[in-house]
Amino acid sequence: MDPLEATQSNLPGIDPTQETERDLKDFEAEVAAKHPSRRRRYFGWLLSDEAARWTARLAALAIWAIAGAMFDRIPTPWATFSFIIDEAQRGELWGPIWVTLKRAIIGLSIVLVLGVFLGFLMGRFWPIRYLTTDLVMAAIALPAFIWALLAVMWFGFSEEAPIFVCVVSATPMLIVNTREGAAAVDHQLSKMSAAYKVSKVKEFRHLVLPTMSEYIFAGFRVAVLAGWGAILLVEWFGNGSGMGWRAQYWYDGLNFNGMLGWGVLMLVVIVAIDRLIMQPALNRTRRWRSREDQAWS
Amino acid sequence: MSTPDYTIDQAAAAERPRFVDYMVRFFKSRRLWRTVLSLAGAFAFLALWDYASGNIWAVYILPSPIDVFNQMKELVQDGTVWHAFWATLRKTLYGWGAAFVIGVPIGLLMGRYRYANAFFQDFVYILANVPLLVYAVISLVIFGVSDTGPAFVVLLLVLPAVAINTAAGVKSADEGLLSMSRSFNRSPLAVTKSVIFPAVTPFLLAAGRVSFADSWKLAALTETFGGSSGIGFELNTSFELFSVVDALAWMFFFVLFVILIERVLLLPAERRIFSWRNPGEKLV
Repeated sequence: MDPLEATQSNLPGIDPTQETERDLKDFEAEVAAKHPSRRRRYFGWLLSDEAARWTARLAALAIWAIAGAMFDRIPTPWATFSFIIDEAQRGELWGPIWVTLKRAIIGLSIVLVLGVFLGFLMGRFWPIRYLTTDLVMAAIALPAFIWALLAVMWFGFSEEAPIFVCVVSATPMLIVNTREGAAAVDHQLSKMSAAYKVSKVKEFRHLVLPTMSEYIFAGFRVAVLAGWGAILLVEWFGNGSGMGWRAQYWYDGLNFNGMLGWGVLMLVVIVAIDRLIMQPALNRTRRWRSREDQAWS
Repeated sequence: MSTPDYTIDQAAAAERPRFVDYMVRFFKSRRLWRTVLSLAGAFAFLALWDYASGNIWAVYILPSPIDVFNQMKELVQDGTVWHAFWATLRKTLYGWGAAFVIGVPIGLLMGRYRYANAFFQDFVYILANVPLLVYAVISLVIFGVSDTGPAFVVLLLVLPAVAINTAAGVKSADEGLLSMSRSFNRSPLAVTKSVIFPAVTPFLLAAGRVSFADSWKLAALTETFGGSSGIGFELNTSFELFSVVDALAWMFFFVLFVILIERVLLLPAERRIFSWRNPGEKLV
């Protein structure tokens, strides 16, 4: 036996195979609990993550308030919020929000069906992929606002324009993600299921769908954001209803509170959709992964 | 002395690929099909468009590709394109410069301190989710019709990407090198310069590549709302004149610029900067 190794293993209370890092962390925590530094003892709660987040929110509000007080053009936070309350009392708040949401639901349903179908075809069959790669690249490079201008010229003040622009500008993002997902299906596993004569339905249910759903939802999250922005743009440029139209209405009246108020509302609605619907859905599609995998992705 | 072994040469001669083999390999190669098919896709698209204009929709609603091409040629000969392109690019670059100046320190703090990470978390999340129209409205409210507005909102748009990527770079810095610098009593400045920055650079470049197209779109959009020059301004003019040909021509310029900058500037820059790293690894 190596003499050094023998000494180490004979030392009382120390197992060389064990990681000592954890013990050190425990020890540090113990010391910190017994003898908290003065700073920690009195201001510990101020340094927590939660406190940091609230400090940030208050700081943002303060900066906004100061900027609003200093510059004439920038509305103050309370002016903006009281505008929103006024708008609600006038009965003009929920109508435009509902109109835009309805358009978003119709447009994004089309995006979901079309994007998943085309993306799956492109991921599975290489001739289709090569045929369309450049077109999809170009479609992604195209900004929504050019589509919005064109759609207003083509369709005028109609219900088709917002939905058309939503579909045209959001579908490419979903297509790209779905294509990646269809290509990411484990080739070895699909060969194995062929060798063991697993039925196609079962293979789709347990192999293709779990792999692809994650990519689809990640892509759909981006598509929702893009589609929402696209609809708002069309409403601004040429439409008689919806949130974008309302913001434009106040812009024509040179009411900056109104413009910013509707801007805040647009932001609030999309953040609520993202937090309450898209993120939980995305996390659900990742349930089958191990914790380490989830941390990575 | 033994006689040279000719049999091997003869076998090699028998197996030397013939012309036909080259042809077979050529036609089986994916790269060929890739080129052929992507060209076919583009041509099919143009053909469909050409058929649709005049046959399905009137020419003033959907002009043919040739009309659009002629319009593009005219705009290039005018020099309008270069002027507009440079105006938009300049604003975008101002925004990017400011985003780097503000975002890199924030990212360094976020990577280093847990408190800073929690502090900036909401800002980063919110700024990344703001619809582009809201940015344009903000620019219009604060700056009115001016050149500062687009640069300012580009700053707001790319700031989260710069900060997040810097933070990720700091976290990826070599722990061993950091503790060694601590043992040798290096100053924080020296550590930042020699350990942190090399770790951060690739992440920053990634941020640049991901957000460039977005920032470019936003700059043009803001110009449409309240600008006096640039691609967005030209597009707005064509919108007010109800000229679909002009709008389509600018649309194609837009795509060309994005692809040009991506392929000619950003991708080679990335290849060049990282040529020292894993020469075998392909950077997509």
